[in-house]
Amino acid sequence: MRYVKISPENTYEFLSRLKGMGTLYAPSKISEQFYDFQEVDDVKDVEFDYHRTIRPPRRFFYPVEETMFTFDTHKVELKEKLPRKERVILFGVHNCDIVALRIMDAEFLDEQPDPYYQIRRQNGIIIGLSCMPDEYCFCNVRRIEFVDAGFDLFFHELPDGFLVRVGTVTGHKLIDPNMDLFSEVSKKDVDNISEFERKKADAFKVKGNWDDLRYLLELRMDHPMYEREADKCLGCGNCTLTCPTCRCYDVKDKPSIDGRTGERIRFWDSCQFRTHGLVAGGHNFRETKQDRFYNRYQCKNAYCPETTTAYCVGCGRCTYFCPADIQFRSNLMEIGGYQEVKK
Amino acid sequence: MSKEQEPSIYETHKCRLLRKYQLTDLESLFLFRFEDPGVAQDWRFMPGQFVEVSLLGLGEVPISICSSARRVGFFELCIRNAGRVTSAIHQLQPGSLVGIRGPYGNGFPMEQFHGRDLLCVAAGLGMAPLRSVFLYALDNRWLFGNITIINSAKFGNELLFQKELEAMKDIATAENISIVQTATRDPDFEGLHGRATVHMDKANVDPKNCAVAMCGPPAMYRGMFDYLVEKGYDPRYIFVTLERRMKCGVGKCGHCNIGTATSWKYACKDGPVFDYYAITSIPGLI
Repeated sequence: MRYVKISPENTYEFLSRLKGMGTLYAPSKISEQFYDFQEVDDVKDVEFDYHRTIRPPRRFFYPVEETMFTFDTHKVELKEKLPRKERVILFGVHNCDIVALRIMDAEFLDEQPDPYYQIRRQNGIIIGLSCMPDEYCFCNVRRIEFVDAGFDLFFHELPDGFLVRVGTVTGHKLIDPNMDLFSEVSKKDVDNISEFERKKADAFKVKGNWDDLRYLLELRMDHPMYEREADKCLGCGNCTLTCPTCRCYDVKDKPSIDGRTGERIRFWDSCQFRTHGLVAGGHNFRETKQDRFYNRYQCKNAYCPETTTAYCVGCGRCTYFCPADIQFRSNLMEIGGYQEVKK
Repeated sequence: MSKEQEPSIYETHKCRLLRKYQLTDLESLFLFRFEDPGVAQDWRFMPGQFVEVSLLGLGEVPISICSSARRVGFFELCIRNAGRVTSAIHQLQPGSLVGIRGPYGNGFPMEQFHGRDLLCVAAGLGMAPLRSVFLYALDNRWLFGNITIINSAKFGNELLFQKELEAMKDIATAENISIVQTATRDPDFEGLHGRATVHMDKANVDPKNCAVAMCGPPAMYRGMFDYLVEKGYDPRYIFVTLERRMKCGVGKCGHCNIGTATSWKYACKDGPVFDYYAITSIPGLI
């Protein structure tokens, strides 16, 4: 792998140059507590020290709502409305969200690729950014606190700039014409990076790995946690909308006023909604709130063979943004019998 | 062909409704033909697979194909008038056009069934996908041993394809086919009474060398599995088909997800046909 170094001032210059290559999105503080990926206007507004964005980066490749087809009801013809090939550059993506995008790839770019996602993803550039975990993070037990793939560039924080890992050919092409901004990595930089990783490892509230959680979830299906916690759940779907790997969608037809034409639209759905498993005749495959709550715990902890991780990447969003204060991590620890590290 | 022109996984074909035939109060049989000659020639399916039927402006519904896989360019769907889209399909007149996507799902592993007796057990709408299995066996009669079909419904007038199966009784004995039709809650029905399970002894098959295809409510599977294993049926050849909300058909939209953390499945892609071991080892499938 290729490693280069960049100073803080040059980072701003690099971001300015990236803006000229496509639409640049980066984390930005949008309220007292919340961050979100926003289109970068002034590069000085980019937030390098953020915990998590309210909306996960999947929305850049799989928007909240999109038109799949336009149709003509008289000819009974559907016309695919594919997205335009527009360059989107995401700067400041944390390791959890990078793995989350790889999980999205596993689902949407399998042997039957989704063309809408595929076109957007092919035109996306991912630039990672290192982070220090807060009390909600548990990516380490998901084995993804350090990523080897899924980014074009990855910025590791140094006391005096960033050490940049180049992950892909696209990454090289971003660096090469801008070598005036980058310098060689020194031995001290490497020591600083390993010190950063050591501090990061220490900062997590949980240690080890949760590989056996899948089995324990299945062996403890009747655990009282489900009933107790599902009772608190409001069924609002915030956990799934903020989740970087949730991908359920529903489809609706929107006919024009004269009924001759229309659009077939897909939009994010949530397994926490009553309608998710509802079929004609009123039968519901996940009838109760507890059924739906249980379903999410199984789905998020299932194994994704392509990333060899769980579908949950431990970003902490579902807990951080839960209006009912349901603690996903603690609930899983209860099932798995895991303990927090005593400081 | 450039990349842009490759058919999308959501590609919908235009199909014309040729005939509508009422089977019961709620269900009708619809015969469709592909409009595009190229598609008509190439389109194939396996028994147990399903299609997404599209009415533009209303939406899509997943429906099992219930016709013979041998018939090229045409297919039949048995559709219950149950919801928004299916009630509109029931109002279609012959000549109308609909959109069809698919076929989706794994279907029954028919080739594994070759050389064996065949037992089909259907309850209610379950007869729809099993008719395709049954017709496959008739179309390839020399590849199968004895065939038994057990068709059940709550009331006699709800038995799907009752007349068709009844008419077959003339040749059934000579062809080693047994047809058992039973109504579970209909004292007035002029035929057998009780659930499919109580008529299993009428199956004219060799349990040790028999493939079993079932489609019905999950409660039926539980009782049936115990019975079949006790009678010495080979679990490797016991298959059932499950119903879920298959919205996209290609394992993307997530609505048909089933299973647990160790075995997370999409009914539309990993199913809808599952074998005995999947059903008995993955909680939540039935």
